[in-house]
Amino acid sequence: MSVHAPILAIAVPLLGGFAAPLLARIHRKVRDLWVLLVVFFSGACVGYVAAHILSSGIWVYVLGARNPQETLAPGGFPIRIMLTVDAMSAFMGLIAGFLALVAFPFALKYIPEEEGKTLALTLSLLLLAGILGLAYTGDLFNFFVFLEVTSIAACGIIGFRTWISRAPEAAFKTMVLFSLSGLFFLLASAFLYGEYGALNLAYLSAQIKGTLVDKLALALFLAGLIMKVAAAPVHFWAPDAYGEAPAAKTLLLVVNTQVSLYGLWRVLFTLYGGALSAGVGWLVTSLGLLTMVVAAFMALVQVDLGRLVAYGAVSQIGYMMLGVGVGLVTLAGRPDYGFVAMKGGIFHMLNDALTVGLLFLCVGAVEWTKGTRDLRELGGLGHGLPGVALCFLLASLALAGIPPLNGFASKILIYEGSFRLSPILAAVAVLASILLLAVFARAFHGAFLGPRAEVKEGLPWVFLLSMGALAVGILVLGLVPGFFVEELVAPAAKALWHGRALYLAAVLGG
Amino acid sequence: MEETLKIITGQGFWSPLLWLAAALGILLLAFFLWSRGRREYKRGTEQELPFLSGERAEDPRVGASHLYWGFVEALKPFLNGLRDWHSGVITDYVGWFVVILVVVLLLVL
Repeated sequence: MSVHAPILAIAVPLLGGFAAPLLARIHRKVRDLWVLLVVFFSGACVGYVAAHILSSGIWVYVLGARNPQETLAPGGFPIRIMLTVDAMSAFMGLIAGFLALVAFPFALKYIPEEEGKTLALTLSLLLLAGILGLAYTGDLFNFFVFLEVTSIAACGIIGFRTWISRAPEAAFKTMVLFSLSGLFFLLASAFLYGEYGALNLAYLSAQIKGTLVDKLALALFLAGLIMKVAAAPVHFWAPDAYGEAPAAKTLLLVVNTQVSLYGLWRVLFTLYGGALSAGVGWLVTSLGLLTMVVAAFMALVQVDLGRLVAYGAVSQIGYMMLGVGVGLVTLAGRPDYGFVAMKGGIFHMLNDALTVGLLFLCVGAVEWTKGTRDLRELGGLGHGLPGVALCFLLASLALAGIPPLNGFASKILIYEGSFRLSPILAAVAVLASILLLAVFARAFHGAFLGPRAEVKEGLPWVFLLSMGALAVGILVLGLVPGFFVEELVAPAAKALWHGRALYLAAVLGG
Repeated sequence: MEETLKIITGQGFWSPLLWLAAALGILLLAFFLWSRGRREYKRGTEQELPFLSGERAEDPRVGASHLYWGFVEALKPFLNGLRDWHSGVITDYVGWFVVILVVVLLLVL
């Protein structure tokens, strides 16, 4: 069975999601147990795939072939549906798998039964399947299909609480923008299919020479994916979406944004790696700077704790774009500092998942306890919820990049790498971090400090368990960053930076 | 083992454990200085009462919006512009998407 691990990681949550409503009709506990089993099984597959790839290299899995390693159909053409999992895909899969393991147990207690819990769990499993599909797929059409799976599931999660007036509105806006993004991706894929008669990523990568059609397709890919990753000035959907979705499910929305970022890297480095101008790198870098600054300033004026954290999350996308953008600018010469910035940007994806994830879980715990997220009404929660306060403080400091936490470890790589390209880049990034520290100091003060406030008793232990798992992750990544950078991040960065030829060879042979 | 604990940043390295050791040293120094200070504070006396602008308040809660009030006030024109930009109107958002598309097309073609 282990030979089928990549497809099982996707198929099990996909089918498991559809089975959840049926099992709910037997008993709610059966449904809950099933959901946990599905998530743990999918997580185990993701872990197995990552371990295999880190020890043995790229794993290509072909659907519909006599054996899953038969990449070329008779005639020497890669026409079948194919998963091509390299170290970067595995890294993305690990982030999704770990956050799912944390988010689902939290959600089982957080979402009340009468508020459509079965629907939320089903949509979340579909979202997980879509995210893993995006991370693992090796062809453009399936990338589009999984993009749509994630879009539909994400919008469902944002808007399923129809009695909250802002939730369906946020879901509608997100759906419009996600649809545009998906359509542009499809149109770009159609351009390339029209020119080369194929949709396989590796095959197309070998064919692309930089013709007018190739460039048009690149522009459409870029525009669509920049929207999906919530980069300024098309980030507007993200604070609404993150702010209105149930806190426990926002973790998956954060990973959904990250996997779109992964898609952007895959298109730029793997698909167009041989025919890319430095101008595209500068575009990514500039949008990264704009995103981190705009989102940090917008976070400063928020009075809703959920929206404040949402803007904080958007600002972190800017750091990832800055790090990898520097790598793109320097892709032709491949200097050492470009690779350092790349490692920083990719490491920040993992760190962001943990810190922003923990912040959203804290927001969920606050809302569960007080019934509001309005900072004007909150205060003094630190007395009654010391564990939540501690987790919020830890995640806030990590997000702002305060040493010795994990956020600093990735940001120092981004600062140093981008400084070598232009000191202005590093200066803006440091200033945005200072602003974020001020923002989260205000949030912590507003929610947790002050005279003791009455809180609802009996915070479920599973809340603290989920938050504790993320807090431990933040501490471990912060205290022993070298291990994770060497074992996980560097292989992922190398897969983009140097790994294009290996990716093509794994599929096309030679 | 050493590589596990630190990361090479290109122009140097970052070691959290070294940083922690330095932070501990500074904390010890701060504690030493603090311990040499005056000892007039008494728990449970009037000294514990909060003091807000000379007023004694029953529920002295400083709201989150009061922090950085001056900073936010000074930047109000800029922040109001940012808020207006986030209009919540979907056609505005699609408009910005068109702007990005044009920029990308100009850059790539």
